[in-house]
Amino acid sequence: MKVKLWGTRGSIPSPGPETIRYGGNTSCVGVTLSDGSLLALDAGTGIRNLGLALAAEPARLHILLTHLHLDHIQGLVFFAPAFRSQTEIVIWGPASAEASLRDRIARYISAPLSPVEVRELPCDVSFRHCPTAEWEIGPARIRAASVAHRGPTLGYRIDDGDSSLAYIPDHEPALGADLDLLEEDWISGLGLARDASLLIHDGQYTDAEYPDHIGWGHSSLSHAVSFARRSRAERTVLFHHDPMHTDEQLDRLDAEARQRWSSGGGAGGGIELAKEQSEYELTARAAGIASAT
Amino acid sequence: MTQKPLELILARNLMSALSTPAFLVDEGGVLVFYNEAAGLLLGRRFEELGAVGPDEWGSLFGPFDTEGEPIPYDELPLVVAVRNGRPAHADFEIGSVDGSRHQVEASAFPILTAHGSQGAIAVFWPASENGAGS
Repeated sequence: MKVKLWGTRGSIPSPGPETIRYGGNTSCVGVTLSDGSLLALDAGTGIRNLGLALAAEPARLHILLTHLHLDHIQGLVFFAPAFRSQTEIVIWGPASAEASLRDRIARYISAPLSPVEVRELPCDVSFRHCPTAEWEIGPARIRAASVAHRGPTLGYRIDDGDSSLAYIPDHEPALGADLDLLEEDWISGLGLARDASLLIHDGQYTDAEYPDHIGWGHSSLSHAVSFARRSRAERTVLFHHDPMHTDEQLDRLDAEARQRWSSGGGAGGGIELAKEQSEYELTARAAGIASAT
Repeated sequence: MTQKPLELILARNLMSALSTPAFLVDEGGVLVFYNEAAGLLLGRRFEELGAVGPDEWGSLFGPFDTEGEPIPYDELPLVVAVRNGRPAHADFEIGSVDGSRHQVEASAFPILTAHGSQGAIAVFWPASENGAGS
């Protein structure tokens, strides 16, 4: 399984000279399964570059949405494969009692917010609510579960052979809870992340910023490190950077995360901040992870 | 290890911050948590007891009716809420580990989600604090 980060920013795109290295595009992760099948995790503005990189392929791909906040769907109408008639796109997302996934997404892909409507997309697009039970896409087993965020929000677990990816980009597991003391089965999202080869997890706020953002649905650095430690994931990438954080600030947070991780007994290289365009090749857990960039 | 449903996790986190005694059962009626205030009422912290099956927790603490007789399990508000998916309310006494009895009002409501019932929450209000039941 190969993983590429196409957008690592949270909340709103933040392009500019001060965000070049960590990136300014919002959430999108490309996953290439062992049989070549392609998944896109979320469709923030990062999915635009993913689409451009795909050229004329593939014929079928799946987009797994964690939730429908704008920073996770904004790129949908700028995703080139959606405008190819020969492409089939399956969009998965959380169910809601209020409206279907298609109708909720159509609120964005419709006038006056969008020049095109869902029904006008040339591709063959379908919308599916994620089942509560595990399901399969190609060679991968996919699991979705609700996690602590604002509104109906999912995290994903993708197992392909002996490697596994957990993707929980918007997550506040420490809301009203002490992650260091709580039993494992009472920690939001931990069932998805446990022993993953790679965990991509929310790390939006500094510890100093978090008290002013309690209940906003995101993690502080310390909470993210604690969650990573409890999950026993082989490697953790902290994601969904705050749009106000510059590359220099993120460098300091990266150093702090590594320090907290190692002081807690974590192996070297076990945690880092997400950088747009970074690639990871996941193999069997015992064999470790190769970082391409 | 099975992950608890998010709704139960959030309910426990909320209950942990309350000073009102509160109890949480899962969809199978297992008592999966009660908070510190409830622990004070019962004389035993949840951490000492752990999860208790539906056949056990009723007998641990009562409850008892006004005649001092145990109330049938099926009539307890928490059980009505989790089984029937509707709120329930009752006045009764519960027993503490030191042998004392406390008269309480209990209100329970089900935790219903798109995927069905995930359990129920009961909040206890000591009757002596609001004059009810006296």
